[in-house]
Amino acid sequence: MKKILGLIILLGIIALTGCANTNKTDSLTFDKEEPINVVATTTMITDLVNNIGGEHVQVTGLMGPGVDPHTYKPAASDVYTLDKADMIVYNGLHLEVQFIEMFEQFSKRGIPTTVIAEGIPENQYLKVGGEGSSEFDPHIWFSVENWINASRHVTDELKRYDPDHAAEYEENAQAYIKQLVNLSEYIKDRIKEVPEESRYLVTAHDAFQYFGREFNFEVVGLQGVNTQTEAGTGDISGLAEFMVNQKIRAVFVESSVSSRNIEALIEAVNSRGQTLENAGELYSDALGDKEQDADTYIKMYKANIDTIVDALK
Amino acid sequence: MSIIAEITLIAVVVSVACSLPGVFLVLRGTTMVSDAITHTVLLGIVLAFFITQDLNSPFLIIGATFMGVFTVWVIEALQRTKLLGDDAAIGIVFPLFFSVAIILITRYTGDIHLDQDTVLMGELAFAPFRRLTFFGVDIGARAFITMVIILLINAGFIALFYKELKVTTFDAAFAAAVGFSPILIYYGLMTLVSLTAVGAYDSVGSILVVGFMVGPGLTAYLLTNELKKMIGVTVLIAVINSIVGVRLAFILDSSIAGMIAVITGIVCFLAFTFSPTKGLIRNLLNRRKRQKKFDEKVKNVY
Repeated sequence: MKKILGLIILLGIIALTGCANTNKTDSLTFDKEEPINVVATTTMITDLVNNIGGEHVQVTGLMGPGVDPHTYKPAASDVYTLDKADMIVYNGLHLEVQFIEMFEQFSKRGIPTTVIAEGIPENQYLKVGGEGSSEFDPHIWFSVENWINASRHVTDELKRYDPDHAAEYEENAQAYIKQLVNLSEYIKDRIKEVPEESRYLVTAHDAFQYFGREFNFEVVGLQGVNTQTEAGTGDISGLAEFMVNQKIRAVFVESSVSSRNIEALIEAVNSRGQTLENAGELYSDALGDKEQDADTYIKMYKANIDTIVDALK
Repeated sequence: MSIIAEITLIAVVVSVACSLPGVFLVLRGTTMVSDAITHTVLLGIVLAFFITQDLNSPFLIIGATFMGVFTVWVIEALQRTKLLGDDAAIGIVFPLFFSVAIILITRYTGDIHLDQDTVLMGELAFAPFRRLTFFGVDIGARAFITMVIILLINAGFIALFYKELKVTTFDAAFAAAVGFSPILIYYGLMTLVSLTAVGAYDSVGSILVVGFMVGPGLTAYLLTNELKKMIGVTVLIAVINSIVGVRLAFILDSSIAGMIAVITGIVCFLAFTFSPTKGLIRNLLNRRKRQKKFDEKVKNVY
């Protein structure tokens, strides 16, 4: 009896959804209502789109300050945000694994979808764990050069979908890229304060390879790219050995990754008779908030560089 | 249909699909099989990845399903030996498979972003946006369609083998004596459990798989004394939990899956405390009554 009843209810449900599934609007351009609702994934991208879109876009970031994109879990309001999206901007290169399939579907349904990584020449991508690997390192924002390319890409995409405001987007982009060039100068100037033999950046996970390449830093991560697999004991003792040999005296923790492994590393190095200090927190996968004065890409990068240089000089 | 209605509907279908085989897991005391499956699928994914070398391959999900089935079969086989307790069998198999997967990942794919979430991207909040198209026509959310099919399979299996399931669950020895093959029924049920778990994992995420399979069944177990009633109450509780959970998640702007799991837990706890037949309070009252009777008897003696 109950089962028959259940089956009837079920059929009802199926019938209900069958009729109710109206397709989304398939238009490629926006309805002219201002502003355009842009949904961005990481805080870095939210900031970038805000800078270029200016008053013509309303950017909503899915991930808040200090959230690790690898472990992000959506809140109920994110459902509305996504439902109302006119345009989507995300990082790509498997940074937002949980979103990719969904975003590709958005794109198929005619919602413009911009992948930041596609604005960066492929020969600029770093491989995870050196050459020979098939996976690219998604932390592309730590190269300012990449971020300038990303700005151009976002500008082009905004201009393409909203040609009415093309001139303003272009103007915003020019101004923002100038700021990024200044940032790059600032970074180079500050790094000069660090003697060349001490240019080692040791952190919890491998987020800073792009930074290392662009500004000649040796970057060593304890955990690999994926924040979900734990660092093995071999990783820690091997790295401790390395640090004693290279006389590295400072390590950094990251805002969005647990500092437990770094503490284990500090203990391991100290037990080998060398003092190692925790030199502070770096922003890696997410910006900080307003109080930390690291709520934009530029402020975040400056904060990181100041932390690194002050510890190593 | 509004987006909340669609999420609610998906939650309801998934919860009912999971709770049906969950009834028998509860009765057999092997509820944690569901937890085991959501972990051991990782091994299936890793092995399938070694073969395909492609993170986007559909074979990864197939690998996950096979590993789920394999997990429940191994657990089942261990339990049949009667050499160790039912929970101990789960306790051996699940960590073993899961850690083999972790070791394989750290040893061979340390540089690749490989974990369950890469392949089974279940998240209830995103479920309405992952559509299934058939010849270019949108026929509904993929999670919904998949889970309706799984629900029908589960309901069909239970309806067809109701008598067999009942006898094997409550009296396996008798079932064997009268010629049923309890083994076959068990393995069939466990295969469904695995299929349901992987399907639900891919639709709504791992927290809910366990919550949906265990919570409603356990609640119904505390409220009823008969299998048919228990199945009915289970379905009812599963539906209520999902609807209330989704509503509350939107009111409080929290994780939808998390909120449903919390509601499932609370409802189960309420049943545990206030159940008129098996509840905590009932139990205390009964004990007090007995104590009083005993005291009076003692008084009368002296």
